[in-house]
Amino acid sequence: MERLDLLLLAIEALDLHGSEAMLWSCEQLDLQQPFPDRVALWKTRCRNPLRRASRRGEWSIEEQEGLIRLVCSLSQRLYPMLRQLLSSSEPDELTNQRWALFQERYNDLISERMNLKRGAVRLLLDQKTGAQRRREVVQTLALCAGGAGMQRLGACLMDGY
Amino acid sequence: MALRYEQSSCRLELKGLPDVSAQPQSPSNSELLLSILTSWELNLGQRASLQGKREHLEALVETVLPYVRLMLSGAAHKQTSKTAVVVVAPRGRGHQLQLISSQPNTPPLDLQLDDAELADLTQCLDQMLLDPRQGLNFKQPLLKPQKHQAAAPAMVHSWAAPSAAIAAVALCALVAMLLPIPKPLLPASPQPIERQKP
Repeated sequence: MERLDLLLLAIEALDLHGSEAMLWSCEQLDLQQPFPDRVALWKTRCRNPLRRASRRGEWSIEEQEGLIRLVCSLSQRLYPMLRQLLSSSEPDELTNQRWALFQERYNDLISERMNLKRGAVRLLLDQKTGAQRRREVVQTLALCAGGAGMQRLGACLMDGY
Repeated sequence: MALRYEQSSCRLELKGLPDVSAQPQSPSNSELLLSILTSWELNLGQRASLQGKREHLEALVETVLPYVRLMLSGAAHKQTSKTAVVVVAPRGRGHQLQLISSQPNTPPLDLQLDDAELADLTQCLDQMLLDPRQGLNFKQPLLKPQKHQAAAPAMVHSWAAPSAAIAAVALCALVAMLLPIPKPLLPASPQPIERQKP
């Protein structure tokens, strides 16, 4: 639950119009049953216990599958950007600038929406551990983009159960 | 008949023939699937160009995709194909892709891929597997949820204390059951008191 919401948060950090893209993608992917509007999507994402205004309850299977499809579809759209961040053949200076921009937006979104008293949230914003967590999020988005990404992401979210 | 899948640093090209005998006759060739693979070529930018038979491509699929799957779980470790011709393992900040040639006296090809190149390779393989134009029936790796290795020690740790407590209680109960039940003492019959005659 936390991981999917953080992936969507990273998508918003990468794309300034990320929230609009999510709504548009919901229409394109025929996800209007679980997420008929912006508020329904927001309420679903607020089930993340790390949220500042967290809502009780579990996601339905339909909601979870819908969010997985949404993440994979948006990752595919952002794939060139994800690739640039992960590539070692890009100039170091440019890569550092891109990561710094992503860090700024991602951390702003986390500070704005997450409960900063939670240890997991503090680790995301931490100087040492934060960079590794951000890289993992970008790696996950890049590796779950594409057609088979949904199965991969779905299976890895069920790990440990 | 050729199929091509491209990403920034990776290009996979399949060449083959449709299996006309196995497919229903159709007036248009567009419905024919590439079912007999004659050759394939994987071009990893300017670094390497790989060619091989169907078995080699299958080995690549059965090694790279499970590795990526484990990587998403944060538990990436060395993956070797059944025929041991392809090995993928974490190395430094990237990934080692080792391909062992079937040609004699040919040293194995050792490539270092970064995350972006691995993602490109994964995308190409995904596109190939999901392409409705190919009928190669590759065995797709299972993507079932699994307990990842990082989680296993934590699970053991969290279950250790309660398990030890339950085992201790059960042991005590067993020992208590083995002890013989003490028989109740019969009340002693009253003894007549003999009076001494003066």
